[in-house]
Amino acid sequence: MTGTPVLAARDVSMVFGGLTALSEVNLTLDEGQILGLIGPNGAGKTTFFNCLTGLYTPTRGTVTLRGTRLPSDPAAVTVAGVARTFQNIRLFPSMTALENVVVGRHSRMKQGPLASLFHGPAYRRGEQAARDRSLELLEFVGLGRVHDELSRNLPYGDQRRLEIARALATDPSVLLLDEPTAGMNPQETEATRQLIFAIRETGVAVVVIEHDTKFIFSLCDHVSVLVQGKLLVEGTPDVVRGDPRVIEAYLGKPPDEVEAEVRHYADETADHTQVIELDGGSEGDKR
Amino acid sequence: MNIPPGWAWLGQALLIIAGIILVIWLCRLGERRGTAYLADRPAYLRPLALLGGVLALLSALLPWVTFELNDGVYPELSTLQFFDEPWGVTGFRGFILLLGLASIVLAFVPIPAKRRVYRAIGLALFGITLFNTGFIIYYGGGIGAATAADGVVAFGGLVGLVAAAVVWFAHRSGPLEQVPLWNSKVSRAVAYPVLLLAFIALLLVVAMLLRAGTTADGDSRAYAGPIFLSLLFFISGVILALNGLGFTKWLTDVSDKHRLWSVVVLLGCSIALPFTEAGTDYWMTIAVNIGVYAATAIGLNIVVGLAGLLDLGYIAFLGIGAYVAANFSEASAAAFGIKLPFLAAAIVAAVVAGVFGAIVGSPTLRVRGDYLAIVTLAFGEIFRKAAQNDIGGLTGGANAIPDIPPISAFGQSFSAPLEIGGVKLPSGVLYYILVVVLVAVVMLVFANLKDSRIGRAWIAIREDEDAARAMGIKTGQAKILAFLIGATLAGLAGAVFAHKTSTVAYDSFQFIESVTLLAAVILGGMASIPGAVLGSALLIVLPEKLRDFQDLRLFLFGLALVLIMRFRPQGLIPDRHRRAELADEGVVEAPSQEHNVADSTPGGGAAVTR
Ligand SMILES: Nc1ncnc2c1ncn2[C@@H]1O[C@H](COP(=O)(O)OP(=O)(O)O)[C@@H](O)[C@H]1O
Ligand SMILES: [Mg+2]
Repeated sequence: MTGTPVLAARDVSMVFGGLTALSEVNLTLDEGQILGLIGPNGAGKTTFFNCLTGLYTPTRGTVTLRGTRLPSDPAAVTVAGVARTFQNIRLFPSMTALENVVVGRHSRMKQGPLASLFHGPAYRRGEQAARDRSLELLEFVGLGRVHDELSRNLPYGDQRRLEIARALATDPSVLLLDEPTAGMNPQETEATRQLIFAIRETGVAVVVIEHDTKFIFSLCDHVSVLVQGKLLVEGTPDVVRGDPRVIEAYLGKPPDEVEAEVRHYADETADHTQVIELDGGSEGDKR
Repeated sequence: MNIPPGWAWLGQALLIIAGIILVIWLCRLGERRGTAYLADRPAYLRPLALLGGVLALLSALLPWVTFELNDGVYPELSTLQFFDEPWGVTGFRGFILLLGLASIVLAFVPIPAKRRVYRAIGLALFGITLFNTGFIIYYGGGIGAATAADGVVAFGGLVGLVAAAVVWFAHRSGPLEQVPLWNSKVSRAVAYPVLLLAFIALLLVVAMLLRAGTTADGDSRAYAGPIFLSLLFFISGVILALNGLGFTKWLTDVSDKHRLWSVVVLLGCSIALPFTEAGTDYWMTIAVNIGVYAATAIGLNIVVGLAGLLDLGYIAFLGIGAYVAANFSEASAAAFGIKLPFLAAAIVAAVVAGVFGAIVGSPTLRVRGDYLAIVTLAFGEIFRKAAQNDIGGLTGGANAIPDIPPISAFGQSFSAPLEIGGVKLPSGVLYYILVVVLVAVVMLVFANLKDSRIGRAWIAIREDEDAARAMGIKTGQAKILAFLIGATLAGLAGAVFAHKTSTVAYDSFQFIESVTLLAAVILGGMASIPGAVLGSALLIVLPEKLRDFQDLRLFLFGLALVLIMRFRPQGLIPDRHRRAELADEGVVEAPSQEHNVADSTPGGGAAVTR
């Protein structure tokens, strides 16, 4: 594809005190693309997402959306059209699934304080439209039947999908998914893969962080490998899969042992992540 | 040996605390053992209920005290010797008699969720007997007052405690039932009269509670505290039982479905309060105070309950509203010679308070959590000090602004008594009606905002601020708006306050008042409107009623708060969301308050995170 990329990061660096979490990372996302971002734990993937969405202000470098520079304010970035999910699920626990998604509509609703106060006809139309759209999105991710459940009571996999629906409610052009299948079983993982394809069909470009290399290679058009804050390799899945540096750095094993190790590694990290999630904390994603 | 007096006191206090801990520990042990034994013996329900009921009847008829207490006979008819006049028992012994009868009768009546009802009866019995026995012992100067002394025995209290324990254990026999769910889809022909009756009952209960233990002027009769608390325990028991039967849930569902009618009836009932036994000057004043407090508490609820921002200086906004209204009232100490009509003055007061709210709220862009609490605390103190020093000649300093004329409309002064068609209404009744309107307006504002784009944004910020920002919510604006609207409502309440009390003095706006407001919000249930009203009512009425406990008053008050928070962390009337969040765990879950000392914008500035 040609023309301006949807999302472009140029030389993004992020330094925490003495720790360089990201160093001159470049990334280009084209229309309709699914881009995979892989790398070992602590490589800086989540930090990179935080820089893209304005949660962190990069120490150096710029992020542009269709050629316009993105501000370092998460709300403004979302309004501009970049939505995200979080590695450690961050729903609004005491709201229902539907209410969570309606919050996602926030920036697309025109309802001033006065309309909020008086609940006139315009208010009612706006609310109804937001609810309808949100229900549609819940159906889209397969959660239509549980729209009235409190999000905290949903099973783990449903919570991840609800987070995706909530992000989609902001009408994004780019969707950033931080480990969307962490802690999921194989069936749920497959469903998520199909969901991401379906999201691409609606014209949203997607960036996915994942540990499960098999998942990434079967999903993405383009894969970038991040190791210790540096972009190591990028290219099509085939190129990346065969690159000896990736195998060396990411897996530390010669090519023929990779396939078996990949499975093992993916399972292990998935379990590991889940344990951390349940404890309520995680590295990278600051609360 | 010379022991300094303080030490003896300390020793005594420690001994009492140790004793209380021992008793609690023993009770818990017994409770656990009993529960374990009864868990798979559901058939014990009836015998235990019967035994408990009979013991309760016995306790009501036995003498409770061995000699006459200092302030006269207590309980009434305490000299009644064994069953002379069983139906003559009044006061708390009457309640015990009723609870005992209920326990016996219900043992034979098939009702759902029986164990939940027995739990309510047991708790009510326990509260009434424990409190009254304790009171007699404390007031009579020793255990002898409630057991045996000078050849007189009075085991009413002890038998009552045993009865309470037995009824409690009746509910432990076998598993606790689910709260039954009643079909709330009823026709108007059923819903309207039921709601009407329910609200009238509520009105009568409120009036009864207000008047309990006092004369018409609000002077405490002797033993006002125990009389009031016994009634409170009894009514709480009845409500708890109705709750267990699923009746209150049904009623709230029905009133949700017929909202307009509920609002109309509720308004009507509120305005009818002056016509009940609580329709005296004194209780109108108290009711106005409750209303002013409730309106302010609902405003605070926007900041604390919805947006999750702690504000420890909130009373300052009430103060700002009050001073503004006072200055435009043509009181002799007012800074401006102009007199605005009340409505105009109230609006100016609200706007000025709102502006200050936005100013105080602006640090929320930078600070979170505990730090914000300190900023607001400081603001509250700055306001009080400024008022004390008569900054800008607007507050009258230590002299306050006295003699604020009452509101008057259509030639009728609000503080004068009113006569409509020969019915004499207490003075202050117009203020009361004004306050009912004020609270209704504030409730409407709260309810509408909560169920709107901005309300959802506030709740999202409360639950997870970063996720809220990632949803495109401009959190800074939303938080300032929360402060602004909350302060506006408080300012409105302040305008009424100024005219009603007729004096606005800086020491009405102390830190403790902010804390009390916060307590009203938390006690009633965060983000819940009826909760804020109930919380305010309790926090104003309880101290009035507990006056004759003097030194113990604050202790009892604090104890009640601790107990409520221990056993009902979601508050007395929790918000739907909060109820779901806290009820099934029974523990306080700090909503998104995890502490993490990470900077929210590294390289971007010195934001202080939670
Ligand atoms: N707010 C922060 N302050 C300090 N160090 C951070 C912060 N956020 C991330 N890091 C560090 O940056 C590195 C990259 O973390 P992260 O982006 O979470 O990795 P990944 O998502 O690839 O597992 C880690 O060493 C982490 O400790
Ligand atoms: Mg990560």
